[in-house]
Amino acid sequence: MSAPYKPRVPRKYIGGYRPRIDGLEKASGRARYADDLASKGAFPGMLYAKALRCPYPRARIKSLDISKAEQLPGVGAILTYQDPEVRRLKMTNACWTDATDTTSYARMRWYKFRDRHVLGDYGAWVGDELGVVVAAETEQIAEQALRLIDVEWEVLPFVLDYEEAMRPGAPVIHPDIAPTNVLPADDFGGPDVFVNRGDIDRAFAEADVIVETDSRHHNPTQGSLDPWCCVVQWKGDSLELWSNSYAGVQSRMHLSQMLEMPLHKVRSVSYYVGGQFGRGDTGDQPFFLFTALLAKKAGRPVKYKHTRRNSFHDTRQSADYHCEAAARRDGTITGLSFKAYGNAGAHADNSVSAFKHVPQEIIEVALAPIPNLRMEAYVVYTDRIPGCMMRGIGNSQFNFAIGVLLDELAEQLGMDPIDLIVKNFGHEWGRIPDDSLCEVLMAGAQRMDWHKRHRPGAGPSPDGIHKRGVGFSFHPAWHAEWQEWRRGQVQVNLTLHPDLTVTLDAPTVETGTGSNTCNVLGCAEALSFLGIGPDDIAWVPTVDTDRGIRDCVQTDSAVSYLQAEVMSWGAKELKRKLIASAAEIVQVEPEALDIQDGQLIFRSDPQRNAPLKDVLFRGDLSSMVVNLSRPPDGQKTGVPYFATFAEVDVDTDTGRVDVTKLVVINDCGTVMYATGAEAQQIGGQVMALGETLTEELIYDEASGIPLNFNFIDYKIPTLADMPDVEPVLLEVWKGAGEYGACGIGEGAVTCTPRAVANAVYNAIGVRIDDLPLTPEKVLRGLGKC
Amino acid sequence: MRTEPQPITMRINGRSYSFIVGRDLAPETTLSAFLRDQLGLTGLKVSCDEGACGACTIIMDGRAVLSCMVLAVEANGCDLLTIEGLPADDPVIAAFAEQSEPGHGTALQCGYCTPGFVMTTRALLNRNPHPTFAEIKEALGGNLCRCGCYTGIAQAALHAAEKLAVKEPVQ
Repeated sequence: MSAPYKPRVPRKYIGGYRPRIDGLEKASGRARYADDLASKGAFPGMLYAKALRCPYPRARIKSLDISKAEQLPGVGAILTYQDPEVRRLKMTNACWTDATDTTSYARMRWYKFRDRHVLGDYGAWVGDELGVVVAAETEQIAEQALRLIDVEWEVLPFVLDYEEAMRPGAPVIHPDIAPTNVLPADDFGGPDVFVNRGDIDRAFAEADVIVETDSRHHNPTQGSLDPWCCVVQWKGDSLELWSNSYAGVQSRMHLSQMLEMPLHKVRSVSYYVGGQFGRGDTGDQPFFLFTALLAKKAGRPVKYKHTRRNSFHDTRQSADYHCEAAARRDGTITGLSFKAYGNAGAHADNSVSAFKHVPQEIIEVALAPIPNLRMEAYVVYTDRIPGCMMRGIGNSQFNFAIGVLLDELAEQLGMDPIDLIVKNFGHEWGRIPDDSLCEVLMAGAQRMDWHKRHRPGAGPSPDGIHKRGVGFSFHPAWHAEWQEWRRGQVQVNLTLHPDLTVTLDAPTVETGTGSNTCNVLGCAEALSFLGIGPDDIAWVPTVDTDRGIRDCVQTDSAVSYLQAEVMSWGAKELKRKLIASAAEIVQVEPEALDIQDGQLIFRSDPQRNAPLKDVLFRGDLSSMVVNLSRPPDGQKTGVPYFATFAEVDVDTDTGRVDVTKLVVINDCGTVMYATGAEAQQIGGQVMALGETLTEELIYDEASGIPLNFNFIDYKIPTLADMPDVEPVLLEVWKGAGEYGACGIGEGAVTCTPRAVANAVYNAIGVRIDDLPLTPEKVLRGLGKC
Repeated sequence: MRTEPQPITMRINGRSYSFIVGRDLAPETTLSAFLRDQLGLTGLKVSCDEGACGACTIIMDGRAVLSCMVLAVEANGCDLLTIEGLPADDPVIAAFAEQSEPGHGTALQCGYCTPGFVMTTRALLNRNPHPTFAEIKEALGGNLCRCGCYTGIAQAALHAAEKLAVKEPVQ
């Protein structure tokens, strides 16, 4: 067990070990989520919606007959793809924003890939919502009504595999967008060869050592326990959406632009959300729209909730990477080449980001010193569940690919991979060796006895069956580079009451990340001149667009510090206003006053010093509100790094891989909330080990039907499956601002699959580079099956 | 198909209730749906609705059960405890809320699985007030936490046992 981390700058509240502010509310079952709120009691007359889902991997509706369903008692409204209000809806994409908080339809980043009809007649994967939606008195009646609808299908040929999808003559999924199924060049992702720097051919021709590796990442799913849920009610021509969307203002923008309604007539409210992890991309999901239209048609509130099966709705994109490295004998990497094939599934969303934009960002912040570099990617439509954000976008796939390339290159060079990495990688604005990278790797190496490791497959095996090994992988926290300046204004309203308690409106949907606790700690730190602590601050747990200010969206793992930075800056404004207010009460000039530790200080007359609270209670007792709004500080600061070290035990008889220990190291810049940060480091390993070892979506290749969209056959690790996880928090790098922190939640999963796969290689001397690392693959690698 | 009205009774969080099958609930209504939708006991969560995640765990006649796998009519004559029935100062709730021991993270993040874990832990401690770490792993191994707070959850269960030993010493 590591010692608790020691903060670089001792602070009163920021960085501490303490319970979450919502701990009791959640542990007692009192925290309310969308599904809890959307009851008939709260929304009288509420109906339940169900959507038709495509039963084939690719099909088109030739005709629908809803007459029997319309006659079913309890059915409130039916909408089909032929209704004018549905036909009027524009084509869309479920990822409008990506790295910004709010985006309009016209500025949607992936505007070239608007491949989603809202309730169209065409389905491109088993599960695609299409054709018809029903609202009824109960979910059962809605389901029964769907069964009564006669659908005449045109069943179309399908393709699940990206290689087949790229062959001439393959079924074309979205001909208007991608005539060959390969997503075309766009302004943001660039062409197929999106990086071509230096002279890669010469680098390889002149290299002392060349290595090539291939790796395959699969498509695990987010698996949030709280299924998507929303209820829409109309009040006259205004609409209210109550949902577990994690983006309040963007949800309002989505509805406003798609339904062509002014913003002030759309209200979006979110409460607690039971896990997000990137599901649904930025949340611009068609079901919000058809639920709204159903509610309008029925004249009653309508609730829509995914079943667990429906919640298998999007995944990390599966990826094949072919990588090559060229190096000099001394370990200088002279050239790198990456070729990626990504399976986008049935909708593009932001899959191009996973294979072009994000790898390019990583290059700029980690591979900057490599003189010759070529990157090529093909993002391919197939009839699988769509790819999506999932705790990062493209990071895990790229890390899994480059991590084996470097491990293999180090072995060919006879070098320690840590030395190879430290020698070659760093930020374009930084220096080599990079302090953050060195300390992160050193921290892991020490805790894993890295320097005592044996050669691949050459370790002792006392029983001749079990073999142990260690491995690691590292990654840059590339988001930290610009401190998320692309988000625009970060807004917070502080209301200070005369008794020196605070209502903190730092809107962000609490999805579990703990940024609410960070916000309260940030507020207490900023207002420590008032002599108050976290218990004096009430954080408003709802995001309600009618309150006027923008919510800070839970992407990029960044909310832990963005609002705290704004409060740190804005506290001066509050202090100035308070002094002005107190000056009027005590009848002196503001310059003569100060506030320290809750006391009103008379600079030249300390006898008159008094508790500020007492002074304010002599005033008009109004609460003081400061509205803070500021973009993140875009100062260039380089990036910090993070890494995972893994130890495994491989049973060479059964092929079973047991991870026996994980060390997760993050350079956070500033640790905002230590318990929460460790919870992310430890907690992320459940998703990470799941995708490494046990989680896998399985299709029946003959029918194209997915077989395990449930939590019984899709195996998420439990308490009984998890190894010891040692979290290590560091503060080496520092970004702009008071704290200069970076998010760590997303990246908690990024390095683990590669760390484990490299550890398996170290154990058995055979590379298994195809996730998940199932016993069958290990045995095949060992030549035993 | 018409269902003849039949009364069923159950104790829920210490109060006795009587319901008429066919009027208050359909025979096919699951206990989880009944408790949430009819009685407003929304502490339990329905996440998988097929007995795979544990978020809907309640205590029925002293045992932890998955309320999505029980029909409401099967609870006829039973004594049910949902998280709403635990006292405000319940040691298990407190231990889950307070967990912040360095090196273990919190015992909850999004909180969606938490009521299920709390009730499973409560049932474990009712029958085994001093569980070992291995027994905790075994007992809580049927609940999923996608945020992955298992380390903190196990600590919370250990601390809950300690709190319980002080508050409700075994005679």
